[in-house]
Amino acid sequence: MPTVVVMDVSLSMTRPVSIEGSEEYQRKHLAAHGLTMLFEHMATNYKLEFTALVVFSSLWELMVPFTRDYNTLQEALSNMDDYDKTCLESALVGVCNIVQQEWGGAIPCQVVLVTDGCLGIGRGSLRHSLATHSQRSESNRFPLPFPFPSKLYIMCMANLEELQSTDSLDCLERLIDLNNGEGQIFTIDGPLCLKNVQSMFGKLIDLAYTPFHAVLKCGHLTADVQVFPRPEPFVVDEEIDPIPKVINTDLEIVGFIDIADISSPPVLSRHLVLPIALNKGDEVGTGITDDNEDENSANQIAGKIPNFCVLLHGSLKVEGMVAIVQLGC
Amino acid sequence: MKIFSESHKTVFVVDHCPYMAESCRQHVEFDMLVKNRTQGIIPLAPISKSLWTCSVESSMEYCRIMYDIFPFKKLVNFIVSDSGAHVLNSWTQEDQNLQELMAALAAVGPPNPRADPECCSILHGLVAAVETLCKITEYQHEARTLLMENAERVGNRGRIICITNAKSDSHVRMLEDCVQETIHEHNKLAANSDHLMQIQKCELVLIHTYAVGEDSLVSDRPKKELSPVLTSEVHSVRAGRHLATKLNILVQQHFDLASTTITNIPMKEEQHANTSANYDVELLHHKDAHVDFLKSGDTHIGGSSREGSFKETITLKWCTPRTNNIELHYCTGAYRISPVDVNSRPSSCLTNFLLNGRSVLLEQPRKSGSKVISHMLSSHGGEIFLHVLSSSRSILEDPPSISEGCGGRVTDYRITDFGEFMRENRLTPFLDPRYKIDGSLEIPLERAKDQLEKHTRYWPMIISQTTIFNMQAR
Repeated sequence: MPTVVVMDVSLSMTRPVSIEGSEEYQRKHLAAHGLTMLFEHMATNYKLEFTALVVFSSLWELMVPFTRDYNTLQEALSNMDDYDKTCLESALVGVCNIVQQEWGGAIPCQVVLVTDGCLGIGRGSLRHSLATHSQRSESNRFPLPFPFPSKLYIMCMANLEELQSTDSLDCLERLIDLNNGEGQIFTIDGPLCLKNVQSMFGKLIDLAYTPFHAVLKCGHLTADVQVFPRPEPFVVDEEIDPIPKVINTDLEIVGFIDIADISSPPVLSRHLVLPIALNKGDEVGTGITDDNEDENSANQIAGKIPNFCVLLHGSLKVEGMVAIVQLGC
Repeated sequence: MKIFSESHKTVFVVDHCPYMAESCRQHVEFDMLVKNRTQGIIPLAPISKSLWTCSVESSMEYCRIMYDIFPFKKLVNFIVSDSGAHVLNSWTQEDQNLQELMAALAAVGPPNPRADPECCSILHGLVAAVETLCKITEYQHEARTLLMENAERVGNRGRIICITNAKSDSHVRMLEDCVQETIHEHNKLAANSDHLMQIQKCELVLIHTYAVGEDSLVSDRPKKELSPVLTSEVHSVRAGRHLATKLNILVQQHFDLASTTITNIPMKEEQHANTSANYDVELLHHKDAHVDFLKSGDTHIGGSSREGSFKETITLKWCTPRTNNIELHYCTGAYRISPVDVNSRPSSCLTNFLLNGRSVLLEQPRKSGSKVISHMLSSHGGEIFLHVLSSSRSILEDPPSISEGCGGRVTDYRITDFGEFMRENRLTPFLDPRYKIDGSLEIPLERAKDQLEKHTRYWPMIISQTTIFNMQAR
């Protein structure tokens, strides 16, 4: 599902962080470092994901529209200027508009908000926005809950204690509540340094950006596949059965039907099923191959081994049929 | 809408007392010779329906729309009240159809204008309505059995729609108090019984109907909470077409319905068989079919003015199906529909066209720019559905090329043979339960998987890996 990275470029992000050694980092640099790691991970392991980059302070700007080109996103990170005070609400309204214009209202999106926890003062600050939240008219509705299925991940360039001592943590938790509880707040454990920022973003990657590996089976014919985007757990009926149902990693085909008979049924979500070559002992998420040549020849070898997915794809197209797969019990 | 919301159980209580036999005083002209009157022929006097007929027709139309759009899980219990309460059907699914209700109503017959008005009252019906709301439906029973210890998650809520001719506002107050007390009593009974459930929420909709031209002795009142368990609203409506319109509006409110008008439907007329004219057909369906319009704010909401009441409807243009090209569309929702004018020629023409197996794409009317196909009408298993098609950008665009991925460089896959294999393993509906040799129930899914397992024990994927499968058959 598409991701929108919303980066705080207000003055408070230029606050220096005390690190031993000669270089002086600002919180902004920590954020950029974490995002660089995220973008590198996406470029290697999650490259079908569309990502956009928005920066905000008192206004907001779409720096990079939705793209799969992670180089462009990395470049934009290094070209960010410093601006002024923090006005989060208008940035969130901007995110609503961008997403709806591009994807409509039915596609789930992930919003990664990168901030330092200083949420502004007075009018336009998050505190003020939340306080006046219920007194809004139709025309200046509070942007949350987002008008599309969403998860709001808040990456704070600060420790938990720092957020608790001001009332920022409460405000941020309120934001997640307003988004129907969909999302999470991440803070830095330990001193504010590059390594700890990396482990914080690592947690985000583990939660939301790990590829979903599964096995597609038709009797004894099998293929290792990646399902993109990750299938999300689904609640069948909140009243009777509120426990979300999770998709199996064994996707078993049970039979086939003509396209005319299946008649365009309504779907919860659509995913690509891509064949992958999993070497024995390969771990999900580890990533960067050292040798480019090795990678190319590995790809070539994998290309020549018959794969069930390719057979299935060809036959389904030729016959005009679909395969029915059991996803869970 | 939750499964066990107030809309799960609806009880109609229709007054069968002598005053309901009175005329609604809205005339129906049925003598067509009035226009070309030949000399000497006296035209027939116009007729009018009684209050009873108007009430029954309007409530049957409410039920028809409800059953069309929700064939399961929305139930109606019909009660007529005169000197006693006559419950015409039960909550079982077999009793939930218009034929049952019409047959039972025919057996009841019209109100007897010579019956003693003293012992006739709508109160009998209201008490019976509360009693029947405490009874458990099959769906509630199934859900409770499934949940076992968590059975209290299953709610018991309902709606009582009462059509009567009240005497005054205080009379209405008296009816409301009666319902409130009865709920209280029956909840006490239900608490001590395994076969009854307490009523957690009840919506009382009181419709006071009176003849056209008379004054209404009862005033309208919006929904008010009378107790944590009971809310009540009062509608004062003239009989005849106005009552029908009112119940039409109520069914849309109660079941979250919205209206779509299909325009530009080409139909041939009987008289002019060589030309076709364009007709409009209005359909009702669940409002979620319009959710994309509402979110984008791009509404083409027009209004149609019927008898003075302004109704919102969204207009979609019919796209003549060009080829028989069957495509899999990206559909985000499918909703049953019910035509508003079910007896009109255009409606039945459209219904027949769809039931014959053709699907139709519907486009949003746009003044400029490329056309946007937003919906599709299609029939499945004898029912007609409105599919919502997504027209926004897809995140799956530009997938990686197959020839560059795993197995992409192989050129001799047995594609035709696998096609044959797929046709041999097509799925079909499984109607009757079957049993295995050992007497246990055969689960269709397991049987399908077993069959696939058996036939793929040896299935070479490429031509060069096999000799046997390359030999001429027979």
